[in-house]
Amino acid sequence: MTTLPPPEFTLDFVREPGTLTVRVRGDLDYDTSDDALDAVLEQLSAGRAPRDVRLDFGELTWIDSTGLSTLLMIHRRTSTLGATLHLDNRPAVLERMLLMTNVLDHLTAPAADERAGAELEEDGVSGAGAT
Amino acid sequence: MLVVDRHGGLVRVNQAARTLLPGAESGDRLRDTVPAWLHEAHRSISDGSRSTSAGPLSGRINDRLLEAHPTPSDDGDVVWWLLDETDRRLAETALTDARTRTEILSEVSSALLSTLNVPRCMEVAASMAAEHFAEAAVLVAPPHGKRYPLTYACHGGPVRQVTRKIEAAEVPGLTEALRGFPPVPARWINPDDIPGWLIPDGFTGPVGSVIVTPLPGHGVPAGALVLLRSSTEQAFTEGEEVFARLFAARAGAALSAARLYTEQATITGTLMRELLPPTLNRVHGVEYAGGYRAAKDHERIGGDFYDVHPGSDPTQESLVVLGDVAGKGLDAAVLTGKIRNTLHALLPLAEDHQRVLNLLNGALISSHSTRFATLVLASVRRRGGRVQVRLTSAGHLPPLIVRADGTVEEVATGGNLVGVLPAVTTNTVRTVLEPGETCLLYTDGITEARGGPLGDELFGEHRLRRALAECAGMPAEAVVERVQMLTAQWLGAGRHDDMALVAVSAPKTGLLTVVNGHASRQNGRRDM
Repeated sequence: MTTLPPPEFTLDFVREPGTLTVRVRGDLDYDTSDDALDAVLEQLSAGRAPRDVRLDFGELTWIDSTGLSTLLMIHRRTSTLGATLHLDNRPAVLERMLLMTNVLDHLTAPAADERAGAELEEDGVSGAGAT
Repeated sequence: MLVVDRHGGLVRVNQAARTLLPGAESGDRLRDTVPAWLHEAHRSISDGSRSTSAGPLSGRINDRLLEAHPTPSDDGDVVWWLLDETDRRLAETALTDARTRTEILSEVSSALLSTLNVPRCMEVAASMAAEHFAEAAVLVAPPHGKRYPLTYACHGGPVRQVTRKIEAAEVPGLTEALRGFPPVPARWINPDDIPGWLIPDGFTGPVGSVIVTPLPGHGVPAGALVLLRSSTEQAFTEGEEVFARLFAARAGAALSAARLYTEQATITGTLMRELLPPTLNRVHGVEYAGGYRAAKDHERIGGDFYDVHPGSDPTQESLVVLGDVAGKGLDAAVLTGKIRNTLHALLPLAEDHQRVLNLLNGALISSHSTRFATLVLASVRRRGGRVQVRLTSAGHLPPLIVRADGTVEEVATGGNLVGVLPAVTTNTVRTVLEPGETCLLYTDGITEARGGPLGDELFGEHRLRRALAECAGMPAEAVVERVQMLTAQWLGAGRHDDMALVAVSAPKTGLLTVVNGHASRQNGRRDM
């Protein structure tokens, strides 16, 4: 177990009509979160806004609180774009963290919901573009 | 070339020699034409006391440096070949000077960079300047308000540091140098304009020559250096001015590094003092103990915190807070401070944990960040020998309770993290601690401590539970120490995040129990 070097953190983007899929590989933590956020936000602002953004965590090896904070920021952006966020293939470490902090429903709420939009306004999300 | 007969009469003088010795003609006496060193040399060769094979002589003629090679001719005359060595000598001197200066500069750099203490750095800079190229050096640091830290050094004398109110404009070029403008050439500065306060004690004689040069820092000037020479010494040359500037560049870099470091250390120190968790002890008949181990990272401030706010009297609840802010460093520290202050202000509302957490959540939400915090609130009050506890977790690890028989229970409280969502929902769990029972609040730094025999395994909740099972009946302090010891062993030399924990215990034989005469251990325990 210790002899295996941890996989390098990488993001792969797959664009399909209406859907942006992001494959997350490696540790999403204090060291990698800033770059990850920048890369995802760049993809989100390029071209037509997708209706669905799927984060595929099949090869996620670790996530810490800064990583979760990044997911919350990505969600803010997808909400303002009117896209729904999906967290696919969640490993135990992510599942546990989402359960404990109780944010899974918030992160994956359908974006079309008008009420959710209103809540986000109160939330001060109008400035979410400033990252 | 000169040809001189054995009696010291000039036989021939060629064109080059005439340029060197204007007015020299054949038939002149050598002693009237050349300096003594050459004329003496000729006489000793003529009388046989010096051999012509003894090698060349050297000496000055007017402002030139010459090497004189004597060659005897058959008729007893001596042919003197004079070679101009001036330029070679100058080049050699320049080379030696350059070497010396490089040596001085490297000595200066290593001496200056070995300290990050600002006053010490100024002391070293001033004393080296006085030692190497002036009789006295005065280092003027940027002012604190109107008072300037001054460092005086005299060649071979002690260094003196004072802070005083001065008028920088009294010294020609000083105001400019302190703003970082290029130095005024030394020859433009009238030594008589130097005010008395700039001349160090022990400086002999009137000031003859002055250099005022800026100490360039990282973006902002680190001060100015004034070099003084008395009128009895040679004035500063242009080369020396250039060298002084080189020296000043090094001193300035070292000084601003020291200043930056000091500022950073002060900020960190101030924050650490504010953010360090308090020492806990017994309050209103309940035992509290806390432990905190900061991450071993270079960013020394982490995001874990805890506080105990005692109730105004023993009938009132005390509020325990333990939490963890996402991220680390200054941003995390600032948010930690905000949370602790906000919760302190919300103490009167502690009756309703969910309300407190929602108010806190609203205060933390920011449009430009999704930095969040997770925390546990525990309201604690002693009733008889037992301790009643209300626990609420906002996205944090649930507290663990060690019962008197050694079973370890996880408290089923949960809720949203705070600082990001529009509103938070939590559930509060009530429980009772019998004497000797402990409730432990902890951060994930404990369970996520990496180490163990393989070096990369998490300490994990199961190890924490096992450790706690062995702590049945122990006082709060001992529980905290035990858990800290086990995680420290587990970690070895490994890296770790912040680790914080707070234990709340019902004392086994409390004063109140004795006074009230309750046999508290026989009481039922879980319902209130």
